[in-house]
Amino acid sequence: MTTLRDAAHRLGLAIDGAAATELRFRCAPEAFLGAVTTLAAEAVLADLFAVTGSGPPSLTVVFEAVGEPEWLLLRTQLTGDSFPSLTPATHVASWYEREIHEMHGLQPAGHPALARLRLHDWPVGQPPMRATLDRRLDIGPGVPSVVPIVHGQGVFQLPLGPVRSGPQESGEFLFNSGGEDLVAVSQLLGFKLRVVERLAEGRTVDQALNLAERLAGVSAFSNALAFVQAVERASAINVGARSRAARTLMNELERLHNHFGDISRLADATGLMVAGAQYASLKEDVLRRCAELTRHRYLRGILAVGGLQAPLPAIALQTLRRRLPDWLRRSERLEKLLEETAIFIDRVETTGVLTREYAAPHNLVGPIGRSTGADRDCRRDHPYAAYDQVIFEVLVKSQGDALARLSIRLFEIRQSIRILEQLLESWPESDETAPSDSLATGEALGWSEGAGGETLHWVALTGDGRIARWRARPPAFVNWHPYAEACASGNNLTDYPVIEASFGLSHAEFDR
Amino acid sequence: MSRWIALGLRSGVRTTRYPSHADPEAEIAPSAVIADLAALTPAQAAEVADLCPTSAITIEGDRERGGIAFDAGQCVMCGRCVRAFPGAFAFSPHPEVAVRSRGNLRVAAHWAGGSTPAVDAAAAELKLRSQRLFRRSLHIRHVDAGSCNGCESELQLLGSPEYDLHRLGLFFTPTPRHADALLVTGVVTRQMEQPLRDTYDAMPGPKIVVAAGVCAIGGGVFEGGFMVNGPLDRILPVDVYVPGCPPTPLALLHGLLVAVGRGAGRYRAGGVSDGD
Repeated sequence: MTTLRDAAHRLGLAIDGAAATELRFRCAPEAFLGAVTTLAAEAVLADLFAVTGSGPPSLTVVFEAVGEPEWLLLRTQLTGDSFPSLTPATHVASWYEREIHEMHGLQPAGHPALARLRLHDWPVGQPPMRATLDRRLDIGPGVPSVVPIVHGQGVFQLPLGPVRSGPQESGEFLFNSGGEDLVAVSQLLGFKLRVVERLAEGRTVDQALNLAERLAGVSAFSNALAFVQAVERASAINVGARSRAARTLMNELERLHNHFGDISRLADATGLMVAGAQYASLKEDVLRRCAELTRHRYLRGILAVGGLQAPLPAIALQTLRRRLPDWLRRSERLEKLLEETAIFIDRVETTGVLTREYAAPHNLVGPIGRSTGADRDCRRDHPYAAYDQVIFEVLVKSQGDALARLSIRLFEIRQSIRILEQLLESWPESDETAPSDSLATGEALGWSEGAGGETLHWVALTGDGRIARWRARPPAFVNWHPYAEACASGNNLTDYPVIEASFGLSHAEFDR
Repeated sequence: MSRWIALGLRSGVRTTRYPSHADPEAEIAPSAVIADLAALTPAQAAEVADLCPTSAITIEGDRERGGIAFDAGQCVMCGRCVRAFPGAFAFSPHPEVAVRSRGNLRVAAHWAGGSTPAVDAAAAELKLRSQRLFRRSLHIRHVDAGSCNGCESELQLLGSPEYDLHRLGLFFTPTPRHADALLVTGVVTRQMEQPLRDTYDAMPGPKIVVAAGVCAIGGGVFEGGFMVNGPLDRILPVDVYVPGCPPTPLALLHGLLVAVGRGAGRYRAGGVSDGD
């Protein structure tokens, strides 16, 4: 018996349906806090979301256990708009509950710091996921949000953003400094809030897929893949072998262009312009191969429920295969040069440290999580698409500094190329099964490992193939949580660009 | 450090020769869709309008007096229409898709008559004086007003060796006080409208506004969302529209050249013209 099944059995949770590798349980609202606290101590809390609408509101928690392919979804139906906060016992619940509070208007009673997460000047009593807002004119005058500042002798504030100096995403940071050192960093996020999930409600699955592809640009594919897989699991639709291989291939291409792009920006932030240009060049090359395969540089418009919109052209696959040794050679040469450039290593080593102890209760994902000892990777732990047919390794480090994050990305570049080689070596001739696209009423979780980490999407479908509810939990939502702490821990003002680039966090994914 | 310089020199020149020469990359990663709407029957038109995830393809009126309209300013390049009706929709082989008039991104066909491009009579004419002023050098202030970060990714790549925007006298500037052009990406969310207005007001005149990407032009898949205060031309006077989702780097280069009068906005949603 697995950890999750065992815990659910001991807690006496009622079974609430199931899908492949997805255990569903429900419990009474009075038992919810106790059950979540017990499960969170033994397993990883990966998501917490609310569903509000016509019926009574419900809360769902998603758990996974290290080394087990199964997910556990625990749901409770609330009788009112209030529930006991999980945060005092389970720290990671904090931002999820703040989100539920401002977006759904539910009250986590006893939450220690129930400030707004993304809404700025928003009227009280109009939660965006719940209020009937048809036009923006409906939104009345708002209540401004407050950014905390540090008071003390000699401490001053230096604002950055929301409009940034280069072509970057919008977000506001307030540096509290005594001169050189960063005492604390306050952040104001949510400038780009579009409420993507609400917009999808009532739309067809195909229209919502276009929204999922535009939740974020550089992680368009991994988000859309998690979304599509959730729809397929909810409707029990099988995907053919060649489509599964193609999805795996594109998932890795997206990881490559993200990692190349992130390292390019890190090199630029340390003043290493040649390295920045070389990695940007590699990113551009990957994007061009993506365009050859799909006619879109960011792999949009290729995914479809049950497979792909069109098979990947054989000529483009051959070109890609010929490029792989070149990518490997170039990135290994650059990696070696970076390691031997002392002024670069000095800038990234012990910069922006996220200690293992601080990071652990945040259940971090992706390269940021793996640089702090969190041994999680969906490709290995919950194999999807064709990941059960390829061999690759996952690197975990514990230093938690900018160098560790860089090392993990460099390692993953080599592993991605290795996966691409294996896929192209034994490319399936056909899908073998005819794609079925009969959507059914149902709900399911979908997941993928994007460049930023574990990407979870949960959908509930209506009978006529439309979206009833959609929950997206992209990796950036989790990884922004400890960001301010990593900025402040013993760093100087001039370290900030290096820290920001080494995290490479997506605003669009967080703001949604 | 000398090894880095040596590596940079050994890598050779990778920069596109665009705009003096055509770039073959433009056909691989298309910058826009062009439509021959007259090739569609009313039934096909209804089918393709249903396929379109945005309001880029719309049906107007009924089967007798109605017609079909295509708006490249709302086209997210998903390719569904191109795959389903290759006779009527195609990817443009040219990266020159930026236009000065919103109407030039639209085309319509009526069942009763032929195809008529919906040209905007009151086309927004870019001030000739500012064109001359910025012809040799343009300093650009970028504002992300609620994008998905695809546009930012492409804008960052304009600085890569492959595109190198500096060779064209184009520069991103970190302050609105030094900026000649405001380049806006994203839908203009409720929470970004004020920072966007503040940036525009802080810029000295004369100033150019470029709407990059369909989110800024028409909202794309987010059109009509209650957090969406855009499109951009409802908030600021827009001089150049660069369609795409995201606009390709070549399309962005062309759009910036159009903004300073060094390129012509030849794109028409129904096919290329001589210029505007």
